[in-house]
Amino acid sequence: MRRSSLYMIITASVLVICFCALLMMIFDYHGAREEAGAAYIERGAIDTGAANLVSAIYLNYRLFDTLFELLVFSVAVLGVRFYLAEQRGSEEEVARIPESQVIRTAADLLFPPILLLGIYLVLFGHLSPGGGFGGGTVAGTGLLLCAVALGADVVARRFHEAALERFEWEILLAILLLVLIPVLLGRLPFTDLLPRGRLGSLASGGSILIYNALIGIKVFIGTWVVIYSFVRHRGEI
Amino acid sequence: MGAINGVTIAIVLFGIGLLGLILRRDLVIKLLALGLVNGSTILCLVSLNARVDGVAPIVHSQASAPYVDPLPHALVLSAIVINFAILALALVFVMLLVERYHTTDSQRIEHEIEGERIP
Repeated sequence: MRRSSLYMIITASVLVICFCALLMMIFDYHGAREEAGAAYIERGAIDTGAANLVSAIYLNYRLFDTLFELLVFSVAVLGVRFYLAEQRGSEEEVARIPESQVIRTAADLLFPPILLLGIYLVLFGHLSPGGGFGGGTVAGTGLLLCAVALGADVVARRFHEAALERFEWEILLAILLLVLIPVLLGRLPFTDLLPRGRLGSLASGGSILIYNALIGIKVFIGTWVVIYSFVRHRGEI
Repeated sequence: MGAINGVTIAIVLFGIGLLGLILRRDLVIKLLALGLVNGSTILCLVSLNARVDGVAPIVHSQASAPYVDPLPHALVLSAIVINFAILALALVFVMLLVERYHTTDSQRIEHEIEGERIP
């Protein structure tokens, strides 16, 4: 037993080191090429109207890619909720963290700015770094702070969970319809529902603002559902 | 570019993560190693197109330097989201295993499963 495990450790190490050496030889890397991404950089802002070229790519040129990414996220949230709801909570109650004045005050002070930062990241995702995924996660983490300070059940009682769940799937349905209906009709997805506007102003970038807002709300709810599923399963945060 | 750049560091991190994934028996540490592998992939993708003098690909009128290629950044976003999905689901499965077998040791869990099956 002991000898065989030692043998396995040596074999695995040698194999992994050889694999990494091979990768290093294949990646004969000498810095970025000058012309890399030139097409996106030249045409991106004109084609899409978004100043942030990254969100121009993932919400306009490769919207389809992002749609399936969102589906993966939804399936993960669904899986977490399904498997953790199956057997609710263990018998032994996990002791609550005694309520601390420091945490409560900090949560009261910090939650509004965190939420505001999340909303800002979502709304300005086509102009500056940010976007639906990042903004939604920031706002959801703010809720985690509230859950730590007040107790998860108090926070959960303020949202109606059934309505929240339905809302989440309605948003996913809206994104699916926005992307797939034009595809079924043989056209490109709706990337220009809103006017492209002046580069750098808030009302620019075509539909990117709509998609960012929908994805932001979806990720916000999804993050909260994941956190709350874990907390409820464990008993208390 | 010297021998130490983002890509080589990413490959070394990838190797460390892969070794952890193979050799460590604790399931939670295996998941951490998986996260390390994912992080190294992200580092590799981002540093493939990093330039010393490049600026972030956000168009504005007085850009002083060439923009970097925005495509790897958009791809990395997918990698991050899918890593989140994998980690959340895998943690749930680890939690279910721990509740049933009261250990995170993968070998002990395997032995218990084999022991269950034989009689």
